[in-house]
Amino acid sequence: MSEAAPTDETLVRETLAGDERSFATLVARHKGRVLGTCARFARDGQQLDDLGQEVFLRAWRKLRSFRGDAPFEHWLARLTVTACYDFLRRERRHREQVSLDDMVLEMRDASADATVAARRARELLAWAMRQLGAEDQLILTLLEIEERSVRDIASTTGWSESNVKVRAFRARARLKEILTRSHEA
Amino acid sequence: MKPDPQPNSHDTQLDALFAAARGHTPDTSRAEFAFETRVLARVREEQRSSLLAWAWRLTPFFAALAILAGCWCYLQTGFSTDPEALIGALGDGGRSAITWLTEGNS
Repeated sequence: MSEAAPTDETLVRETLAGDERSFATLVARHKGRVLGTCARFARDGQQLDDLGQEVFLRAWRKLRSFRGDAPFEHWLARLTVTACYDFLRRERRHREQVSLDDMVLEMRDASADATVAARRARELLAWAMRQLGAEDQLILTLLEIEERSVRDIASTTGWSESNVKVRAFRARARLKEILTRSHEA
Repeated sequence: MKPDPQPNSHDTQLDALFAAARGHTPDTSRAEFAFETRVLARVREEQRSSLLAWAWRLTPFFAALAILAGCWCYLQTGFSTDPEALIGALGDGGRSAITWLTEGNS
């Protein structure tokens, strides 16, 4: 009979006792979800790899603070969101300005292929999102793209539920304004 | 009077953009390849650098300890300037060096 896979909590205990292989197992188990979230914020493969590694490096450093009150996955999700937020703040300091002109023209072209149009839509959204502050980007990505609940976002960011709603409303208004200005330009 | 359709149309456009983003699942397979190995390499690198950082931080402590030990040795000789007493305090190991320093190597 095959042995049952160790729980996350067991792997955490083993890692704290100095077993690196247990940490590797934890990374292997959760990398898909972590990288999936990070990919919503990173602009290329290199950034994705760096951001993903940063999340697990933080997890390794703070592993002693994991008390096991909530599942490890939730604890890691909070770390992921914090790391993504810090990444967005760093990125915003040296973000690049990209011309929108060609992109908007293609969006208006009704004959454009559906796949290309969807890609252009994503690029347009990514461009507009980069004009926003780190908090706005984070909240819209989690709420509108990752479709997480307000409660989930509140628990991962540490903000209150009403605060999340207000921030999301304001972020959406700012994004609309950016898109409107880009169309008018 | 007809209501202004602009705000609503902007919301619809924005929803369409979000829907396009939702419809696309980012491909993370390249980043996932050997990801654990890279993470563990960084963990080991950090462990090494934190050991070096600790050693560096402890340098003033060991320097102070060496000075205190030197002072203690000096005080044990009773403030004597007699080279023989100093040699006695240091033991045989330091005798030749001190003799060489005080009497010259001629």
